[in-house]
Amino acid sequence: MLEINSLQTRIGEREILRGLNLTVKAGEVHAIMGPNGAGKSSLAYTLAGRPGYEVTSGSVRFDGADLLALAPEERAQAGLFLGFQYPVEIPGVNNVYLLKAALNAARKHRGLPEVDAFEFLTLVREKMRLMQMDESFLSRGVNEGFSGGEKKRNEILQMLVLEPKLALLDETDSGLDIDALKVVANGVNSLRSPDRAVVLVTHYQRLLDYIKPDVVHVLARGRIIKTGGPELALELEARGYDWLLADAA
Amino acid sequence: MTAPSRAPTNRDENWKYANVRALSRLPFEQAADHSATDDPATDPLSVELPTKTMECRLVLVDGRFSAILSDALPNGATLDIQPAATDTTPITTALGLNPVDLHYLHVNQKGRRETLNLRVLAKQCVQVEILHVATRIGQPAINVQLELGAELTLIERHLALGSGAAATNLALAISLAERSTLKLARWQHFVSAASYIETLDLSLGASSQCYLTHITSADRGDTPVSSRSTAFVTHRGQGAALHWNSAVIADGQQQHDSYVRIDHQARRAQTHQLFRGIASGRSKIGFNGHMLVGDGAHGTHSGQSLKTLLTGIEAEANVRPQLEIYTNEVTATHGATVGKLDGDMLFYLLSRGIDQVTAEALLKWAFVSDVLIHLPSVELRHHIEASLVRQLPGAIAAQGSTT
Repeated sequence: MLEINSLQTRIGEREILRGLNLTVKAGEVHAIMGPNGAGKSSLAYTLAGRPGYEVTSGSVRFDGADLLALAPEERAQAGLFLGFQYPVEIPGVNNVYLLKAALNAARKHRGLPEVDAFEFLTLVREKMRLMQMDESFLSRGVNEGFSGGEKKRNEILQMLVLEPKLALLDETDSGLDIDALKVVANGVNSLRSPDRAVVLVTHYQRLLDYIKPDVVHVLARGRIIKTGGPELALELEARGYDWLLADAA
Repeated sequence: MTAPSRAPTNRDENWKYANVRALSRLPFEQAADHSATDDPATDPLSVELPTKTMECRLVLVDGRFSAILSDALPNGATLDIQPAATDTTPITTALGLNPVDLHYLHVNQKGRRETLNLRVLAKQCVQVEILHVATRIGQPAINVQLELGAELTLIERHLALGSGAAATNLALAISLAERSTLKLARWQHFVSAASYIETLDLSLGASSQCYLTHITSADRGDTPVSSRSTAFVTHRGQGAALHWNSAVIADGQQQHDSYVRIDHQARRAQTHQLFRGIASGRSKIGFNGHMLVGDGAHGTHSGQSLKTLLTGIEAEANVRPQLEIYTNEVTATHGATVGKLDGDMLFYLLSRGIDQVTAEALLKWAFVSDVLIHLPSVELRHHIEASLVRQLPGAIAAQGSTT
């Protein structure tokens, strides 16, 4: 589904990713861990097409297509979803409109007609129940006045409504209490299927207690320096990153 | 009375950013001379008027009251059409004004054909729409008086129509007596090429409340439009409150300039002023919010938030908050910004698959929604939304359908 080869990026003059390779197959859940400043969020932003992240070499194939040739909105329409670490607040644009517009954009890309109002609200209400969100969130501005936990739930709600092929979740667990973490994990697990994939960027093993990864990677100094199974996350929790960084050096 | 003044130029402080050259060429004085024997508008217009937002609508065509197109007033209000020749009302009762700021008021007084006097009787509650239709030259003059404890919801729409360039020079005087309440929604709506000048004189009595929302927009960005709004607001009575919310959406080569002078002369008066402007294309927006707190106006509370969004490479915006305070015990805040669309917000919307044009339109919509939410009429809001569809494609209809 996702094939990244020798990806190098920079912001301004600063090199961020330095020859990163990663392959994610349909049906898999990958966790990317690593120390602060390793390039984890930059990888997510680069894949989503955020302005300012310049790709200097390498390639990214998503579902057979050249992802880097697509505009950010085309990447989303093609089935890529980025769950933000810090979701922005957009007062004046209400949540329900954003959801509807985003869903219709994805449907249009797939050659489907726009969703009708009843069908849409039925779908959204079902997903909101799963995320234990009050319906009043729908009429509020996007993330406006939401707590940190509410913002993260809202990100997962959007993901569930859009049903992307590949979800990149950037530190979705940060700022969540244990109950909220379970709700968010439950939402992510409900999306797991043989034809979808999830890439989790996280600092902590605790998220992986609830979302079992198939593959765990360590990203440091702009590249993947170690790959393993779920046991790697436990080892990192116990030993930290220094031993890997020393080996990589 | 202030002596008649020369026409303003860009050297005059309060006219720096107005399109004075275009305004000075408008033939208001010639029109006054040559149309003295015209009949009031009696023919149904060849264009279809917009649907009403209130049960009672008064229609003026090129500055003249049209009885045929207007409804009867509801109980609790009176209307008097006074010929200009018998109108001896002072041009303004506001104090300390710069004579040049009154120039177009003098031009109106000289050229107006009649004055509409709308009075809401004491403790009565009335809703009225006034529709100004501009097809050529017009100099409407309207006096609105709210008596003790009266309540008026007034929707004032200015619709520029017709094949030629219309020009309007409005004089609007509003007086609120003690404990009266005015909810005033004003919409300058340019469908075709037009120039628009107005002078608003608003007087607030003790414990009166005025909620004013003012929208300026054109259906199309390429419609040549130029407007200048001058407003003099005076807090005359203790505890009066003004909530001023205005928005300008400009595109192409349109130019809109406003000067709002709010004079606090009484104790414990409040003013909350919000301005939002979006300048696209090569348009120019000016907004000068001049707040005065006079000697003895203790306990005044005023706040200004003036923001403009530049979305055109050659667009210009000038927003100026001005505070002059001559007394103690005053709370006054002000802020002014000129900025561009927020990159983080834009990327967030794009990352959800929303196309660039719609995403930008949504953010523009969000920017002016601070003002639009204050409109006292859902119907009017829908009319405004519908007219903005061309300039903010995708955003308006969708927002409207979900709120």
